[in-house]
Amino acid sequence: MVMDIIAGSYDLLLEYLTNPWIRGYLGLSLIGFIFISAMAAVWLERKISADIQFRIGPCRVGPIGIFQLIADAIKLFTKEDIVPRKADSVMFRSAPIFLMVSVFLMLVAIPIGAVVINGVAYPLVVTDMDISILYVEAVSSISIIGVFMVAYSSNNKYALLGAFRNFARMVGYEIPLGISIIAVAITTGSLNIIEIVENQTIWNVILQPIGFFVFFVALMGDLGRLPFDQTEAEQEVVAGWLTEYCGMRFGLGFFAEYIHMILGSFLVVLLFLGGWNLPGLGLLTSIPVIGFIIPTLVFLGKSAIVLAFIILLRWAVPRFRIDQVVNLGWKRIIPLSIVNLIWAIALGLFLGA
Amino acid sequence: MPEIIDTSSIINSYVPVAIFLIVGVVMPPITMLIVKFLSPRSKSKQKFTTYESGSDPTGDARIQFNVEYYIYAIAFVLFDVEILFLYPWATVYRGHGITSIATTAILAFIVIMVIGFIYEWKKGALQWSTK
Repeated sequence: MVMDIIAGSYDLLLEYLTNPWIRGYLGLSLIGFIFISAMAAVWLERKISADIQFRIGPCRVGPIGIFQLIADAIKLFTKEDIVPRKADSVMFRSAPIFLMVSVFLMLVAIPIGAVVINGVAYPLVVTDMDISILYVEAVSSISIIGVFMVAYSSNNKYALLGAFRNFARMVGYEIPLGISIIAVAITTGSLNIIEIVENQTIWNVILQPIGFFVFFVALMGDLGRLPFDQTEAEQEVVAGWLTEYCGMRFGLGFFAEYIHMILGSFLVVLLFLGGWNLPGLGLLTSIPVIGFIIPTLVFLGKSAIVLAFIILLRWAVPRFRIDQVVNLGWKRIIPLSIVNLIWAIALGLFLGA
Repeated sequence: MPEIIDTSSIINSYVPVAIFLIVGVVMPPITMLIVKFLSPRSKSKQKFTTYESGSDPTGDARIQFNVEYYIYAIAFVLFDVEILFLYPWATVYRGHGITSIATTAILAFIVIMVIGFIYEWKKGALQWSTK
């Protein structure tokens, strides 16, 4: 009797959860999750940076400064919003929309883990698209429109210089990013991120090490993280494209960048590091309650490691000059990505035969 | 007979995208509205000038793009369109009885792409001038 009720309610739940509208509204909670993880990432970055430089880092607000970002958010909310007189007011005010739309739309198709029920993994994703990786790549480049709107409307020389550099970098690194994604699609036989994860019996990082390297470098270029942060090189162009932004408007741009970085590390894990799977974990996830949380924890743990590596890289590699960046992208990374593409085609034929 | 694809499930998978799009468009203005209520406000002439390291701003910032950006942009568009053709191919080229022809075709395509790339490189279009 009790089992019947449980089974019935389970079916009802499943029916509700396949309704796209309910999925969409429930998925909005992901926005909260991603903002909190962006805060955690900022805190992590500050702490790691401080450790590397033999400083303490944030330590006043809460234990080991864990609430520092909440204090920062309150500060940003209570700061005056200044629009420079010479700025294009409409464009200046609407640019953050493009930045936020870009990351929110990426959020829709990127799974953040999985729940294993009776040995079947249900990915925690808002919508299950056939072409989600292509979609993610497409919407992630909306942010460049936002960046240019910010810079052009500011009517500030530093901002425009930053945006110019951003253009030069983006055009060079979008192509190898796309080609290495195609290589992944070849060996896994799908453009759906979930199927890419499920088909990775051997992690793609082992199958295509060159592809992983190319994807990671191109992603760093895309995200504008050091050594590719010419867009906002503090020592050269003040704050780059965000120079004229202050208060919460700056906060929005800043958060959009950090969320982009987190989603980027999610993508690295999903495409190359086996997503929420870990060898030898199959036995453990068949236990009911553990299967609910372990895959997601594995996924988030892997992402945190990738994120920490990105942060460490910031202090390990000096910033490139813009001509070095462009030459590296066009003359090294793109040929390397084509080599990897050929390798992936051969591998795909070998594996799929 | 071709396989019939249920388009409603494809359309359904984009409903959350629409919801997130609306939230993304609405969220920044609402945030700025909250800031408007919370933040102080004061008028000062100097405050609204463009930032130029403290000195008075000179001239307009909206300069012309350097011409080499256009060359890179054209090269980018060409390559982006080319790799766009690879996406659908990547998922279907094996296991549908077209493996050998699909592989040969795409290899020819990649060779043409690489020849174009080498031509561009040798022409000096990928050389960032540092003058």
